[in-house]
Amino acid sequence: MDIAAQLPLLLGLAWLAPLVSFVAILFFGPRMGPHGRNAAWVATAAIVTSLVLSLFAAGTWLGAHPVQAAHHGAGGHGDGDHGESHAADAAGHAGHASGHDEAHGPLAYAGDWYALYEGGALRLTIGWYIDALTVLMFVVVTFIATCIHVYASGYMHDELHDVTDHEVHLSGGGHLHRPGRFPRFFQALSLFCFSMLGIVIAGNLAMVFIFWELVGICSWFLIGFYYERKSASTAANKAFIVNRVGDFGMLIGLMALWGALGTLHFADSPVGGGEPARPGLFSLVRPAAGGHAIQVPDGMVKFAAAAEVAKTPAAEVAGKIDGWRGMGLGRWLLFTAGVGIFCGCVGKSAQFPLFVWLPDAMEGPTPVSALVHSATMVAAGVYLVGRFYPVLTPDVLLVIAYVGAITLFIAATIALVANDIKRVLAYSTVSQLGYMMLALGVGGWSAGLFHLVTHAFFKSLLFLCSGSVIHACHTNDMRKMGGLARVMPWTAGTMLVGCLAIIGAGIPFVIGLSGYYSKDAILAQALSFAQANPAHSILYLAVAGGAFLTAFYMFRLWFMTFAGEPRDHHVADHAHESPAVMVAPLVVLSVLAVVAGWTLPGGFGLANLLEQARPAGTAEGMTGGFAFGTLVFPAEHLSHEGAIHVTATLTAFATALAGVVLAALMYLVRIISPAVVATILRPAYAFLAGRWYFDELYHALFVVPVLGIAKLASGTDRGVIDRIIDGLAWTARQLAGIDAWIDRTLVDGLVNATATATWNAGLELKKLQTGHLRQYVMFIVVGTVALFVLASLLFRTSIAG
Amino acid sequence: MDPAASLTQPALWPLTAIVFLPALVAAFLSLPIVPKAREEFIRWTTLLTTAVVFVLSLWMAWPQLFGAAGPAQFKLGEPGMQAVVKLPWIKAFGIEYLLGVDGISLPLVVLTTFLSMLAAAASWPITKHVKAYHVLFLLLVTGMLGVFVSLDFFLFYVFWEVMLLPMYFLIGIWGGPRREYAAIKFFLYTLLGSVLMLLAILMLYFTSDLRQLAPEQLLASHVVSPALDAAAQADAVKAITAAQAPVHTFNLLALAQIGQLPNSPFAAVQLWGMTLEKWAFLLLLIGFVIKVPVVPVHTWLPDAHVEAPTPISMILAGVLLKLGGYGILRICYPICPGAGLDFAWLVCGLGVVSMVYGAFAALAQKDFKRMVAYSSVSHMGYVMLGLGVWSAVAGHEYRWDAWAQGVNGAMFQMLAHGISSAGMFFMVGVLYDRVHHRNLEEFGGIFNRMPVYSGLAIAVFFAGLGLPGLCGFIGEVLVTLSSWNYSRVLAVISAFTVILTAAYILWAIQRVYLGAEYKGPHGDHLTPITPRELAIATPLVFFAILFGVAPQILFNYVTPSVNRQVETLADWTRRVHDAAPAQPVAAAAPRIAP
Amino acid sequence: MSGMLGSTAAIVGPMFAATTADVSVTHYLVVGAILFTAGIVCMAVKRNALGVLMGIELVLNGANVNFVAFASPYLRGQGAPALGLDGQVIALFVILLAAAEAAVALAITLNFYNNHSTVDVDRADDLKG
Repeated sequence: MDIAAQLPLLLGLAWLAPLVSFVAILFFGPRMGPHGRNAAWVATAAIVTSLVLSLFAAGTWLGAHPVQAAHHGAGGHGDGDHGESHAADAAGHAGHASGHDEAHGPLAYAGDWYALYEGGALRLTIGWYIDALTVLMFVVVTFIATCIHVYASGYMHDELHDVTDHEVHLSGGGHLHRPGRFPRFFQALSLFCFSMLGIVIAGNLAMVFIFWELVGICSWFLIGFYYERKSASTAANKAFIVNRVGDFGMLIGLMALWGALGTLHFADSPVGGGEPARPGLFSLVRPAAGGHAIQVPDGMVKFAAAAEVAKTPAAEVAGKIDGWRGMGLGRWLLFTAGVGIFCGCVGKSAQFPLFVWLPDAMEGPTPVSALVHSATMVAAGVYLVGRFYPVLTPDVLLVIAYVGAITLFIAATIALVANDIKRVLAYSTVSQLGYMMLALGVGGWSAGLFHLVTHAFFKSLLFLCSGSVIHACHTNDMRKMGGLARVMPWTAGTMLVGCLAIIGAGIPFVIGLSGYYSKDAILAQALSFAQANPAHSILYLAVAGGAFLTAFYMFRLWFMTFAGEPRDHHVADHAHESPAVMVAPLVVLSVLAVVAGWTLPGGFGLANLLEQARPAGTAEGMTGGFAFGTLVFPAEHLSHEGAIHVTATLTAFATALAGVVLAALMYLVRIISPAVVATILRPAYAFLAGRWYFDELYHALFVVPVLGIAKLASGTDRGVIDRIIDGLAWTARQLAGIDAWIDRTLVDGLVNATATATWNAGLELKKLQTGHLRQYVMFIVVGTVALFVLASLLFRTSIAG
Repeated sequence: MDPAASLTQPALWPLTAIVFLPALVAAFLSLPIVPKAREEFIRWTTLLTTAVVFVLSLWMAWPQLFGAAGPAQFKLGEPGMQAVVKLPWIKAFGIEYLLGVDGISLPLVVLTTFLSMLAAAASWPITKHVKAYHVLFLLLVTGMLGVFVSLDFFLFYVFWEVMLLPMYFLIGIWGGPRREYAAIKFFLYTLLGSVLMLLAILMLYFTSDLRQLAPEQLLASHVVSPALDAAAQADAVKAITAAQAPVHTFNLLALAQIGQLPNSPFAAVQLWGMTLEKWAFLLLLIGFVIKVPVVPVHTWLPDAHVEAPTPISMILAGVLLKLGGYGILRICYPICPGAGLDFAWLVCGLGVVSMVYGAFAALAQKDFKRMVAYSSVSHMGYVMLGLGVWSAVAGHEYRWDAWAQGVNGAMFQMLAHGISSAGMFFMVGVLYDRVHHRNLEEFGGIFNRMPVYSGLAIAVFFAGLGLPGLCGFIGEVLVTLSSWNYSRVLAVISAFTVILTAAYILWAIQRVYLGAEYKGPHGDHLTPITPRELAIATPLVFFAILFGVAPQILFNYVTPSVNRQVETLADWTRRVHDAAPAQPVAAAAPRIAP
Repeated sequence: MSGMLGSTAAIVGPMFAATTADVSVTHYLVVGAILFTAGIVCMAVKRNALGVLMGIELVLNGANVNFVAFASPYLRGQGAPALGLDGQVIALFVILLAAAEAAVALAITLNFYNNHSTVDVDRADDLKG
């Protein structure tokens, strides 16, 4: 079977397997064994199937496209010769973009399964775009998801029988007592895996958007899993609505692309019949003819120059486009598109200013936090930026870098003072996502995505460990923990591995945990960027400072939880090591957290694998920008040059060490009292503990005004429009009243008056009818005589003759 | 005998049966031989009738399901009018019994018959004057179907009015506490629209002149039946072209042809500083947007919905609102293209204002049903926006695909909203039947009490939210994407609405379905969903998912007709814009529809 | 009343003038008028129902005299336009009618008397408006 047909089939099936599980559990979940116990097996079987298929696809991929040993990349620590491989690499990228390079074969496969809408030249489709990044993400997502499915089947065992929810207080005074929802959890988890894999495999932005929303709603289901708790359902709504704010921006980006270019496909799509393929976004923005240098596509130029186009005869338009492009027409459109798409990523990846939902999302069960809100879904934003990288202009990248820097700093500072074990990890996640964004924003495409992968391993590990702790202690509050290492050795050990990985521990220039490689790559690229653009050196400082903060708060967490003496004996006495089904995933993940960054002697490593997917034209570096001055993005391989590399590695090591030492001083050996520090820095402490008051700020800035406008709109309906309508009706009724009055008094009055007059005349005449015979005779006589006299007076002649 | 007027036209009986069978059964039910007390019989008869009509419409729309395709059945991919029925009615004014369906009307017909069937099933809880209710209900169905299949403007207007009266009584008698107010409000609003529409109809009629049309156009618009043999056709054409006085017409297709002529008489006549075309467009537009409805003529909708019984709300939201959009698409734009081009900003603007305003208003509602009603205002705003995005002139490239995408999206949104809004109203009705209140603040914990119902309800509300994979998404995203080429500002505002939509729907779900316990009265009446209710809710959810996952099922019907209309009008735009002043207008060859 | 007297003089005047001439229609007419007037006066002034009936008879017979007089060729002279026997015939009818009327009237009077024990017509006002 041809690899071009095989990969979509394998990954497509891997993508659909969780959907099958979702449907099966949806309909038959409660009937799957006692209390739906077997639903866990169904879901796990589905995700294992996906994992196997993904691994198979990865094998197929590596068989067809072996990872080259001397690729430059973040994993190439220690070997200095990246320069030579570069030329060959560039040739490979040229092949990628044109789609069919004889030597390398296509490095990406794209196609459509079916079209949602087709009209004229416009097509919205469900399709695939498969490159090394896609395959890698499939493996990572399905692998972590498998671990978490196994873990959750142990963690969620409470739901196998009736549950008394102590956090819900009923109006009657008691606690909520409800049946368990074991199958429903796995049902939502399966739907989530399906949606997440949908984002990864998506062949166009429309499909990304579709699954983007779907993971959002899965996240809504999972955060709101304990929907009886008001806090959980509110957090779920907050997460979805804040994400929608990001999606609002993303929609604008989609519109900007769609309106001007008429396509949302990443890759070129063949038309068939010998006609040239319809160009996708990548080749429109970075045409092969221009050496994959970024340029404003023709469509956008024409769109921006609509007024000019209207004045130009149709035949001459094509010739003038380059001129208009030179005038800068359309570059704002491309900027809008990039920033718009990035807005979606800001929402999903919890970047400043939309990060407020992620800490609240910890209301969900811990396996969910591990899978959805640390390793996969929130990384989707980073993934999309990486995927969409060729279209991002220097200005957009700078925006991304700054957003990432702000995020990593804010989140890290809040994590310093948080006491909820999951919230520390949540803010750590936000901060690490900021790292990734910053890395992508300073030109470290490979560094950012590399960190995405390693972070997925160690952060899910950390969350699962915290879940294990919570499972044992029945509390999230670290102030009640302490000394747990003795009762929970496995958990403590694996979590220590996770902490070391996240701070990038390692022996400089020799070997380290996965985070050591990825973090160093980010640091190096930030330094490289800062050297090229001295005006933006603050980005490097943010990264370095963030590394210090990360080390501090992670080890603060570990020391508070596991080291020292138990603070709350009630908690400590009940604590116990988790069952094997929960510990096993911890061990597996901790192994990966250690080795994920390593490069094998043959050159095989994640970083080198990623290099295969590097978008055409991004290897060489880039210079440009119009909105924020000229920006220079140094090529990523330059960050592995001696000076930069050494500086970055040493900085990383020093900052991390400083953080750990400080944490140890405060929480392990307790030379410095945290309480005293907090008192001395009271305003700062309160500010951080109040989480920079973002929630309150947003409430005042957005929620209240929106509800106010809503009331206003509703009130306008009742108070203004309906008033007017009712007023019109009232006026009409008054007019009708006047009309009725005229009818009744004037018209009817006249008629009645006639009748009354006749009646009265009759009454008067009645009086003449006395009944006296003689009187009648007299009347007759008098009348006759009178008539006679009258006649004789009037007709005198008749008498005469 | 004129073969065009014969009773052997293939589509005569199927189409007539679809339209008039409900009325016939209504007449039968109203006879004294049907005793009032036999309520079950009346209900079943109504349900059966609507089911038969649904199957008939399905027979037309999906011949493959019934084996061989006959001449009266719909041929996919054919953009023009099909299954045309043509009989003379009032000859003095050229009024005809002219029916037909195309890709725009047929899906709406099927939607109507489908929702009528479900609404008939949802009418079981009605216990007051059962006989009268069902008679009026069936009359309403006839009215709605008639509007969708009429190709004669006069006939269209008759059906339009036929629809109005039963609705008035159905709200006014079987409604909630403020039913009289709501019914009167509905009636007056709609009547105002009808009156303006009648005015426009007469304006167009007396300005139209069939003699301006070429023989091909006469044939294409069924003024001269293509079923005639060549000689008879020639005679009929000659009778029109040789007439001394102008030959007026009510034929919608012919009016569209006339309206799109380079020397359209509608554009030639001036009234008080505007062309007659613009007056007619505005009058028709007011009539239709009242039905849609758009802000600020929407306030009848919340009241009518809140007061109407559940099945009537389903019909009202599912079908009646679509008549407005259908009217704009079928009548306003093709007949008055010049005005359509000039007033596109108005249509789009009204749409966007409705979207935002409706969403804000929905956010503030305390009454569950009122919230759903405002969500209809917001969702129908997308329809208006999609219909209005006349972007074919951008940069003189006359690219019509973005516009076609908007119109296709609007059509899809109408159909999808027909399903999701009917579903939402039904879901509210299920709760109301049990606890007899709709106060959003007094629900909660329904999910634990009624799990199956809540699952279905949340699915339907998500369809309303525009979640991908459900029917609401496709229309919204197509319309929103298409609006960019027309106006950046409107596009951004329309994209902004997605936030509000999520907010009000999720908030409502949280308050009603989630939470620990039910807070309102009659908590003990919260019994699980009944099989009858399940049988109504399940198809709605099924189609919401089906059309969300495979929208091309509907697009296969809609797109050819819509695209042709848009393409024709885009060509018209090009002609208008390119017509150099030196070039005599009459020289431009009239475009013949293929 | 003066007009009435005046007109009476106009009728009476020729009567005296004809005393020397032959008996003519005028004389009969004068007789008829006297009878008629006497009857009317009788009807108007008598309270007794029988008196009223008598007055009616006088009125009828006054009219009869006129009929006969106008119809007679002897009285009107030759050549005058004649009525033939019409007058006499109508006079006979009138007599007949008078008889019938008298019978009915007497019956009414009798009944009235039986009910009211009087024949005073002024007391018979039960049918007044």
